[in-house]
Amino acid sequence: MKPAPFAYAAPRSVEEAAALLAEHGGDARLLAGGQSLVPMLNFRLLEPALLVDINRIAGLDGIAEIAGGLRLGALVRHRMLETSPLIASRFPIIAAAMAEVAHLAIRNRGTIGGSLAHADPAAELPLLALLLEARITAVSTQGRRVIAASDFFTAALTTALAPDEILTEIELPDPPAGSGWGFAELARRAGDFALAAVGVIIAEAGGICRTARIAMAGVGPTPLRAPAAEALLQGGTLDTGAIAAASRAAAAAAQPADDLHASAAYRRHLVEVLTRGALSAAVARARKVVP
Amino acid sequence: MSGKRRIAVTVNGTRYEREVEPRLLLGDFLRSELDLTGTHFGCEHGICGACTVILNGDSVRACLVFAVQADGGEVLTVEGLGSVEALHPLQQAFHEHHGLQCGYCTPGMLMTALDLIRKHGRLTEAAVRAGISGNLCRCTGYQNIVTAICAAAAAMQSGEPAGDA
Amino acid sequence: MREELRPKLVGARVKRVEDPRLLTGQGSFADDYRPAGMVHVALLRSAYPHARLLRIDTAAARSMAGVVAVFTGDELAEAARPMVATSKMKDYRATAMPMLARGKVRYVGEPVAAVVAASRYIAEDAARRINVDYAPLPAASDPLRAAEASAPLLHEEVRSNIVLSREFARGDAAAAMAAAPLRVGARFRFRRKAVLALENRCYLGDYHRGRRELTLYSATQVPGIVRDALSELMAMPEHLIRVVAADVGGGFGGKASVYPEELLVAVLARRLGRPVKYASDRLEDLLSTSQAFDEIVDAELGVANDGTIAALTAEVVGDVGAYSIYPWTAALEPVQVVSFLPGPYRMPNYRGRVRGVATPKAPLGPYRGVGRPVAAFVMERLIDMAARRLGIDPLAMRRQNFVAAEEFPYRTGSGIIWDRAGFAECLTAVRVALDYDALRRWQKEARAAGRWIGIGFASYAELTGIGSKIPAAPGMPVNTGTETATLRIDPSGSVTAIFGVASHGQGLETTLAQVVADELGVRLEDVRIVQGDTAGRAYTTGTYASRSAVLAGGAGKLAAAALREKVLRAAAHLLEAHVDDLVAEGSRVAIRGTDRSLSFREIARSVYLQFGRMPPELQEELEATKLYDPQFGTTSSATHAAVVEIDPETFDVRVLRYVVAEDCGRVINPMIVDGQVHGGVAQGIGAALLEELVYDGEGQLLSGSLMDYLVPSAAEIPPMEVIHIEAESPTTLGGFRGMGEGGTIGAPAAIANAVTDALAPLGIEVTELPVTPERLYRLVEAARRKE
Repeated sequence: MKPAPFAYAAPRSVEEAAALLAEHGGDARLLAGGQSLVPMLNFRLLEPALLVDINRIAGLDGIAEIAGGLRLGALVRHRMLETSPLIASRFPIIAAAMAEVAHLAIRNRGTIGGSLAHADPAAELPLLALLLEARITAVSTQGRRVIAASDFFTAALTTALAPDEILTEIELPDPPAGSGWGFAELARRAGDFALAAVGVIIAEAGGICRTARIAMAGVGPTPLRAPAAEALLQGGTLDTGAIAAASRAAAAAAQPADDLHASAAYRRHLVEVLTRGALSAAVARARKVVP
Repeated sequence: MSGKRRIAVTVNGTRYEREVEPRLLLGDFLRSELDLTGTHFGCEHGICGACTVILNGDSVRACLVFAVQADGGEVLTVEGLGSVEALHPLQQAFHEHHGLQCGYCTPGMLMTALDLIRKHGRLTEAAVRAGISGNLCRCTGYQNIVTAICAAAAAMQSGEPAGDA
Repeated sequence: MREELRPKLVGARVKRVEDPRLLTGQGSFADDYRPAGMVHVALLRSAYPHARLLRIDTAAARSMAGVVAVFTGDELAEAARPMVATSKMKDYRATAMPMLARGKVRYVGEPVAAVVAASRYIAEDAARRINVDYAPLPAASDPLRAAEASAPLLHEEVRSNIVLSREFARGDAAAAMAAAPLRVGARFRFRRKAVLALENRCYLGDYHRGRRELTLYSATQVPGIVRDALSELMAMPEHLIRVVAADVGGGFGGKASVYPEELLVAVLARRLGRPVKYASDRLEDLLSTSQAFDEIVDAELGVANDGTIAALTAEVVGDVGAYSIYPWTAALEPVQVVSFLPGPYRMPNYRGRVRGVATPKAPLGPYRGVGRPVAAFVMERLIDMAARRLGIDPLAMRRQNFVAAEEFPYRTGSGIIWDRAGFAECLTAVRVALDYDALRRWQKEARAAGRWIGIGFASYAELTGIGSKIPAAPGMPVNTGTETATLRIDPSGSVTAIFGVASHGQGLETTLAQVVADELGVRLEDVRIVQGDTAGRAYTTGTYASRSAVLAGGAGKLAAAALREKVLRAAAHLLEAHVDDLVAEGSRVAIRGTDRSLSFREIARSVYLQFGRMPPELQEELEATKLYDPQFGTTSSATHAAVVEIDPETFDVRVLRYVVAEDCGRVINPMIVDGQVHGGVAQGIGAALLEELVYDGEGQLLSGSLMDYLVPSAAEIPPMEVIHIEAESPTTLGGFRGMGEGGTIGAPAAIANAVTDALAPLGIEVTELPVTPERLYRLVEAARRKE
């Protein structure tokens, strides 16, 4: 189980990397944390002619405050998301979800940009990007563009990135003031990909739900939002009945498939259970019932 | 860009320069180029944790990093931890508490435990169980490994020798 | 010091001799050997479950830079005979396993061609350049389908896919069953499982052309069996073959057979005259290492109203895969299910029938527990089913039906003899450790609060340390019942103890040193155990079947006693004392009651170096060799208890508590015994909840990575409590009983019973393992639909 031969380049700038991609296109692959890519290389599921290692590009590994949110460089590691005080205060849902991602040695290497670009349908960061309405910046020799998370994940392991584009940063707009969050997933073992995962953001004003976002992973070719379920909650009171109805609607919105580990029916069932749990936690957090 | 590349890696305090193919995994570099066979492969796809080493201060899977990526970096492997004559407190704790049987997962388990202790200090049993859940062991049922790591963490914090003997 | 007060090493928590090298990365695993000139093998493996090989084009591969050679099965046909596992068992049809496939392939992953190259990387590059024309053949992956007369044949020459069948009977099971007031039964299924040692299989062949000697460094449990096989298959005398298994990274049965790749590197090393290594990767391991379980068991238990068992019947279909594993045969696993099914219980009427069916999958082989995990799963589930129907407590039902103390030795329905063992003592110890009545009260309260808590038990008995009167596998013509030890003292007074066993994590270098040091009267550090190397033994097999502590321990005791006599004779002359007045202790021989003594070193130097100091009749090597044969072996037993909690919504199962009380006779090293139990139980929990090899209907393996084949981690395994009941075996030297496998035998059954108990309000019976959240979801959905 050894990778096929490839050429290797370790550019020092985004421009240099973009030029390499422009030259080699689909024959090249970007290497960030490598925690998903290298297994595929070792299994020889991928045999790129060139690996462009972006780890030596300076300036892609920071977390910065911007107006109304945070900007994260593509090389921000899972471990940094897990431990950053900025993330803990502004996006505690990310810090909490990182504990579910694989294991320490993987989180030490894995990057947010790599995870989003790899777009595993059961992974946590794509779900969070969708939930948090992230804006994803892609750079090529043609220029730079910003892609909304809702447009980014196009199919299983497939994104809107063109073969010559590099994902360089992610902007996370702050969720509404006073909002609460919930995150729930079930995996067969600690650190495994989720059979199903659900993240929610809830904001209330005057006892009425003003914002409701529900995103899920592991139950479709891409991470999914549940717009019908969100609509059920918005403008109403967040009581047990509403949460149960929204959870059922979220389950209905899932597009699960049968696989080795779970049937579509069981996954759909899990979405309902996990959504209920995540929504309850989010409501409690919004109401400061839990810290 | 293609062909072999010359790299310099400091492993266990010694600087090595070698010509390597870009595709050479760090684990194979350690084993076949440097003859440091203490780092073991168990799956070569990042799940079992047997090949865990410390790269630039963080635990990593040596099957998911290429040697060229370690160019200019520092690697710590099990061989750099302690010696047969002078075991590291972590190794001593595994010895005292029977935290190994066949010994195949042990180097990776030790390097993961080292990273956990460096990052968290004292560890609860639950934290250790979660913390080593990316390192598979087939022999011990983990019980004595967990005990050993808790003991080592306490000992390394207090500077006392590990173990109860 | 008076003899009876001397500290005994046997029974003490002695830290392991093996540890320092393994803890510092100085072990010698097969893949760690890198002799000069070594080349690497990569195999092209079949992508088809069943296909005719029309043409194999290796030209492109051969022409690649760094490639030394490429071989197909036909090209190596003369180099070695195919492996045929024979058996004296009636109704067993022997089939041959080729080194590389010839004519056709019979499972996905079967080796088709071998590339030898300068590195494994290049060898893999070249393997992908080999073009094979396959003509796919129909295949029946499902064993029930494969057993039908119309099914496509895997081995045409034996004219059936049913490659073995056997029946055990006692009494009139049919009549007793018909008369029984209560009958419980079900179709049980334990899915296919990987053995999965952390170290993949690895072999390095090194052939010296000048001396015509072959050395094989092998990740094997059975260097002796491998040497015998290589000699026969390659037509080489055994004194030119040495098999070394220095440090082996776990075995659990998966390294207890002889593999085609092992033979291949030996053949290639001889042909190429240079060291040849094959190191399996994990995908290859999942595809081709012998697999476990996969039986369908239709079983029924007849019980009297007071809970007394009247009869047991079982029909077993075992999916044995494509080939009959060498040397154990395809019969090993499924036949042991039927022979151990009656368990530790009084069983007046029994009928068990088994058929082994060949399917296009990797061969079934020995796995920790062999047959008994499945037997215990079925029997222990039946006991609980009956107990629940009768309103009897499951522990009481077990205890009531155990073979009682006064009934030992007891002959079971399949002819196994249970010698005096601690069945009831183990059960009682578990009950006490659990504070059982309080636990049941807590369970009741937790249930009332909506928690799904279950308590499950499993009791079992197994035969360990088997001697020469019983073949380790049914009808197998290999003697596995003896073990020989050679002990020698050199002029420095240190002791070398040479065994034929092959430790792969058990710590035999420590436990055997404890036994030898105690018996010989030397310090532990003065004993070096040599094992895992055929060089030192004329005949040996290895370590498997919970035999090494009993057989090697016994041989070590005998040899040490014989050697001590020689030492004492020499010392008596040197000290001018009577042998009966001497005591060997702490590597010295002293005259009892005096301060006059000599060290082993002084005695050895006198014997070997001080020419003329000893009279001619005492000029003898300080060396002794003794063979030990426990004849029938001994009974090991245990009761396990598991407490589980099931999430009522997600059906995630957590094991909250695990208690084992086990009787392995006299304990040599309690620390090591605990470790063996922990590890065995963890594998059993994995088997019960997580681990499953999934093949599709065509015979393609779907769980070909560790992302899909789920090995339990520290987060899934609970802390365990282990209690030792030291009922010394009446039938073995030292009173030792084997104990390496027991954890894996009891755990799946205990978990299945605990999960069933948690689901009792829904009336669900767990009959299939592993019991995954998906399976629980379906069981609960079905139960709710019925309500």
